[in-house]
Amino acid sequence: MKKFSKFLILGIFVVSLFSSCAKQPTQAIDAAKAAIEAATKEGATVYAADELKKLNDDLQAAMDEVSTQSKKFFKKFGTAKEMLAKVQTDADALKATIPAKIEAAKNAAIQAQTEALAALDEAKALLEKAPMGKGTKADIMAMKADLGGLETSYAEIQAAIDGADFFGASAKAATIKEKATVISDQVKAAIEKVKGR
Amino acid sequence: MKTALLVLSISLCVFCASTCQSPPVPPEVEKVKSQENDIWRAGAPIYAADDYARYLGSLRLAKEKLIKQNARLRWFRDYKEIRADFIVILARGDALIKEVQAEKRSQSQDFSKRLGRLEERMGKIEALTRLMNEHAPVRESLARAEVVSREAQILIKNEKYTQLAPKLDLIDGHIRQAEEALFSILARYADDNQVARWRKLADDTISESRRRGTTVVLVNKLARTMTLLKKGKEVAVYGIGLGKYGLSDKLYAGDEATPEGRYKIVKKNAGSRYYKALLLDYPNEYDKRRFALAKKKGLIPARTAIGGLIEIHGGGNDSLTNGCVGVENSVMDKIFPEVSVGTVVTIIGSLESVDKILAGLGISGS
Repeated sequence: MKKFSKFLILGIFVVSLFSSCAKQPTQAIDAAKAAIEAATKEGATVYAADELKKLNDDLQAAMDEVSTQSKKFFKKFGTAKEMLAKVQTDADALKATIPAKIEAAKNAAIQAQTEALAALDEAKALLEKAPMGKGTKADIMAMKADLGGLETSYAEIQAAIDGADFFGASAKAATIKEKATVISDQVKAAIEKVKGR
Repeated sequence: MKTALLVLSISLCVFCASTCQSPPVPPEVEKVKSQENDIWRAGAPIYAADDYARYLGSLRLAKEKLIKQNARLRWFRDYKEIRADFIVILARGDALIKEVQAEKRSQSQDFSKRLGRLEERMGKIEALTRLMNEHAPVRESLARAEVVSREAQILIKNEKYTQLAPKLDLIDGHIRQAEEALFSILARYADDNQVARWRKLADDTISESRRRGTTVVLVNKLARTMTLLKKGKEVAVYGIGLGKYGLSDKLYAGDEATPEGRYKIVKKNAGSRYYKALLLDYPNEYDKRRFALAKKKGLIPARTAIGGLIEIHGGGNDSLTNGCVGVENSVMDKIFPEVSVGTVVTIIGSLESVDKILAGLGISGS
């Protein structure tokens, strides 16, 4: 009987050790959430939306694991901790990539802006030396007016860059370049038309 | 004995734990995970926010059940109900994806239609600018509208509908600016009283031609036509070109406007630098009075002259003049022998009000 009591006490001790000593990994949860929050603040919503979604899904999976273990008699949070640690690591890694992505988008916008300006300058230069003769003067005047509108729109690229709307700036710059190139082509055609006479 | 029993029961437990297989988690659970990702990618949070929230809600409930089941000892786990729940969620998810796709299609069609209507307005205005040379402010606004329109086309192509509404508003704003600029140029042409005056001037000229049996020339600036009439009857209609501000009524030298009124040919020049030319008696008495009044009112600089040398000349109708009426050389060849010094040339703005055209563009001319 004495021996049985000893076993019983030992058993209770072991059970208590497994069931009550395993605490929810609240620190790891908070750290993972904070890491995702930091990545979001850095701009992940815009520059890494897919990756951010995956992180949030992974966090939810880890939280589900925590929840599962919490309901068990023998709680084992090891897997959940590993999952949370991975989320944190991934979030930190993602956050670290955002500035480079922003920089790349900014550089692309500036490059597009430069190309748009070059296209505008080319069209302007061509219009200056365009043959204002019979059959072309009215067209040249129309193209000059169109170019005036494009130049006004060009100023909006910088405003978009200043507002960190780099994708918007790139799109506008590309459009202006496209339209300015059309004008240049038309002027070149007009010059050829005059030469051909 | 007791010890043996204890060891036996522990061994039995260990054996059961290691050999008893728990039922597998239904494959639908993993499918839903993948489906949820697809739904998110499709844009459900934007295009079917409420239904997506409901979908996530039911998914959460099902997952809670799954968690509860997973927390049980493995030989007590039962996933039947959970599998049924996840099958329902999968079906809901499929429906949700279809709903998102339908919404995107609908938005694409809606935005494309709206953009199409805006581009139609732009096209109409652009066509009108080809009737006038003083189109710079109109075309500048149109060019800005075209830039945004192209951006909108790209957004539609990339299914980024949330950014489209402000773009379309911006296009509308630029078009309105173009319309206002257009109206400021064409305002006189939408003024019924002004059009009536022009019509009377034309009628008087035609009546005079009929009464006296003479040849007259009628120039219509907006229609860009020059009509040759004999004894009040139309003989020929030719296309013309005007100056940079040809639709305006000439007031002073260098305004590049074409005068309006009743004039006479004062000289026929067969050796003009513009092929052949018919010099008109601009300024007439009415022009002089108008000029003096404008000067008195300070509407034009004190040193400005009234100008002159307004001709109908060759050189082409597709070029810009400084206020003269330009025609093709072949037209000069035809008209030159038909007219003489003293032939009446009446220049009017238009016989018809452009009010209808402006109203069609959504601008009220009156």
